[in-house]
Amino acid sequence: MTGTVLAAARPVRGPAHDEDSGAWTAGFTVTITEDEPVFAGHYPDFPIFPGVCVMECVRRAAESAAPPVTGGLRLAAVESTRFLSAVHPGDELTVDITWSPRGEHWRCAAKVATGRGPAASVRLRYRQEGTPC
Amino acid sequence: MLTAVGVRAALPHRYPMLMVDRVLEIGDDHIRAVKAVTLNEPWYARLGPSPGDDDLAYPDFLLIESWTQTAGILATRLAGDAADGQVMLFGSMSGIDLHRPVFPGDTVEHHARLERAVNDTMIFAGESTVGGAPLLTIGQITMAFRPGDALAPPAPQGS
Repeated sequence: MTGTVLAAARPVRGPAHDEDSGAWTAGFTVTITEDEPVFAGHYPDFPIFPGVCVMECVRRAAESAAPPVTGGLRLAAVESTRFLSAVHPGDELTVDITWSPRGEHWRCAAKVATGRGPAASVRLRYRQEGTPC
Repeated sequence: MLTAVGVRAALPHRYPMLMVDRVLEIGDDHIRAVKAVTLNEPWYARLGPSPGDDDLAYPDFLLIESWTQTAGILATRLAGDAADGQVMLFGSMSGIDLHRPVFPGDTVEHHARLERAVNDTMIFAGESTVGGAPLLTIGQITMAFRPGDALAPPAPQGS
């Protein structure tokens, strides 16, 4: 597969469906080891897991727990992301995902934390692909 | 203009995370740069034997990284001596629209402009195109310079 991150997102909770809101929630952990290829260049002798790779962990976790919609979902936008603390080799990320229907779109909101506390919050918007004939 | 030598001198990023190839134009508050995508990018190393078109799309978030590094070159120039010994970090982003995928053989052009600067924080906006067509709309990305030692990995906890 094409990807910037070796680590897999391991499901620890869900997916669970809330009938009233239509939301789906799920929880994951991702172990970031020093073997991640991005550390070689970000930065040499000063490894920080790139923010876009934190986002990639969220994306992979989210897409493995995507709501069951006809035609599939395609990433359309990063509504917002805040990076709250650095992620280093050896950190275990916890990733909590909430998918919420927004008209023709789905919003995926995620909270990411390390053992030291919150690391990032991410909101992605997915477009529902056309239903097949 | 900055060649790859100038890009490398301006950014601390290195392979495989150095994602600007050339700066076409740099002014007081704006910059234009290009990133060429090839099939030899490391992100394609683990493709299976029969990948589909979608598998060869360049990772979306690396396009955002590439745009941000472009803005980072401008930020470093604007910060001048104040950036010495500091690490440039993403603070936040919002309103990033992804318009189309890009593939090996494509050349992406990034445009970034400084919107505001407050103390050690700079806010940039802009867009990216591929072959003249819209690729990314960047509503806002915030970058800050922080002392390197403030970001050092935590010391191992004694038992």
